[in-house]
Amino acid sequence: MAWEYRIFKDLHQIPREEHVFPGTPLCAGCGGLESLRLAAKVLGNHVVYVNAAGCFTNLASFPFTPLDASWLYTTMGSAPAGAQGVRDALDVLIAKGRLPQDEDVKVVVLGGDGSTYDMALSSTSGAITRRLDFYYFCYDNEAYGNTGVQLSPATPYGARTATSPCAVRNPVGAVQEKKDIFEIWRAHRPPYLATVSPRFPLDLEEKFARAAAYRGPKLFLGFAACPTGWLFDPAYTPDVARLAVECGMWPLKEAIDGNVVHTYLPKLSPIEDYLKLQGRFRHLFEPTVQKDALAHIQATVKAYWDRVQQGDSV
Amino acid sequence: MIAVRFHGRGGQGAKTASRILGTAAFSEGFTAQDSPIYGSERRGAPVSAFTRIAKEPIRERGIITRPVLVVVADVSLIGDPAARMLEGIDERTAVFVNSPLTREELRAQTSLPGRLTTLDLTTIAVREFGKRGAISALLGAVAGRLVGLRPESIDRAVAQELADLGVDASLIRRNQTAARHCYEAVPLVPVEKDVRGAPGPTSLRAPTYDPPTRGTASITAGPNSAIRSMSGWRTFRPVLRPDLCNGCWLCFANCPEGAITIKPDGKPAVYYPHCKGCLDCVEVCPTDAMTVERETEATKTT
Ligand SMILES: Cc1ncc(C[n+]2csc(CCOP(=O)(O)OP(=O)(O)O)c2C)c(N)n1
Ligand code: SF4
Repeated sequence: MAWEYRIFKDLHQIPREEHVFPGTPLCAGCGGLESLRLAAKVLGNHVVYVNAAGCFTNLASFPFTPLDASWLYTTMGSAPAGAQGVRDALDVLIAKGRLPQDEDVKVVVLGGDGSTYDMALSSTSGAITRRLDFYYFCYDNEAYGNTGVQLSPATPYGARTATSPCAVRNPVGAVQEKKDIFEIWRAHRPPYLATVSPRFPLDLEEKFARAAAYRGPKLFLGFAACPTGWLFDPAYTPDVARLAVECGMWPLKEAIDGNVVHTYLPKLSPIEDYLKLQGRFRHLFEPTVQKDALAHIQATVKAYWDRVQQGDSV
Repeated sequence: MIAVRFHGRGGQGAKTASRILGTAAFSEGFTAQDSPIYGSERRGAPVSAFTRIAKEPIRERGIITRPVLVVVADVSLIGDPAARMLEGIDERTAVFVNSPLTREELRAQTSLPGRLTTLDLTTIAVREFGKRGAISALLGAVAGRLVGLRPESIDRAVAQELADLGVDASLIRRNQTAARHCYEAVPLVPVEKDVRGAPGPTSLRAPTYDPPTRGTASITAGPNSAIRSMSGWRTFRPVLRPDLCNGCWLCFANCPEGAITIKPDGKPAVYYPHCKGCLDCVEVCPTDAMTVERETEATKTT
């Protein structure tokens, strides 16, 4: 069954109103910021962002903020706990009649993959289990970016980071497989889960609009092409984001009450097209082509889409 | 001691340039020291780097406030107070600026003090590498020439430093070619061989704090970041050719900054004070209506 756009059918429907304003200190060409800006167009300004330390912490650095929403900064491990506190406080205010019922303030955790896949996992698991009514938006730049691009559990096989260098003993770079955080969330049976990419803006807007109908934990995994950490010219952010989807490495999907639907069927173009654009994979091509590593990556992608084809949930 | 200060924007290679200069000097038997400084802002934000070169051991540490040579990777840094490019320079400081302008034109435009010299490194880099990117080897070569290092040592230092960064062999060779070209082409100006005059004594002042009873500052603010101009971050700018634009809004959707607005006629317009010059809009435009122009003005307000 093909997935259909119900709300956003045309790029010209993208709201012109901005809720993430210009003048942020984030890198030129930051793919994470691109997703956040689009997301905020749907989320609006009745939002409390609960941020885990990372690149995006620089967004609201005194005395400047690009947001017309509220902001709470927390430690890397505790943003979902912070979100619980904010949600509880809002609910108490509503119960006491000090905040109008229809004010509809959303609580949105904003974290990098370091906190999402790694440091904040137990706090996240607790919040989902408690059915906390919140959004979790992870901008996934596949590394601990803010501190200089170190390996995180989101770093894919074969990527070079500051702590997974290409070395004589270990020419591939990262030897781990990217942790499947989507499935870890799904095992908790939250009402709404989605992956998004800013190069597919309608898909992104549609998913944020749909999620609004669900009460409880809602996860958004945003592909965050990172020119600084992945070593490519910022002009290629859109190409990297597009090819990640087209080669099958970043599936666009949604899971409502645990039922996974792929929202875009990619061309499954060769992974090399995607990898070659980025300096973090260059050692797989030069000075010699690491054929085994490339074949391994391609096989992993193929295995995923074979399962999808067979109608397995993932 | 020769104290050289590099100014660049994150991603341009000022830090690596300072290392290339230091490594080249070290290989000629000098003592050398290099270190960068940057804030929590990222690619595009001002970066400084320092290289000290001497015959004797270097005991001085930290940032260089009285350089004998300043190497500026991008004209926009001159007018950017955050870059502090003018700090500690006077008419005897040698100042190199990456610019297509001659020293006279640049002097007229910026009233920069110092012994000015210029060379258009960006054009050389674009020609040699086929795209914009780091110009560390070129900056290092220019600095090396001005302080009197040998071309072979620059050549080796470029290879060593770029290899350490994982740059592949063919790109290293192209960097060496471009660096050698810049080494030979940069117009020479004299560089003082010593720091002029010891810095005056500094008196320590005890900070004064407000009493805790005064309370904290208000931390309620609207979206005020938009008052900051990001123009200085750009080394290139996107320019729309309205006749080619089909009004698809892809650039508007994909601009990470929200620097593209939609005019009443449905066509996009770039608001330059908000544009960091990432050029994502150029990349997504299906009709090539977004074109690229290089920034050459030293004082960009728009
Ligand atoms: C418990 C803890 N450990 C380490 C840090 C230092 N730190 C600040 S930001 C950061 C990187 C965060 O990485 P990620 O969550 O992937 O976000 P990104 O920086 O990539 O946006 C780290 C390690 C911290 N703030 N707290
Ligand atoms: S380091 Fe990467 S994720 Fe962080 S602000 Fe820069 S581009 Fe964005």
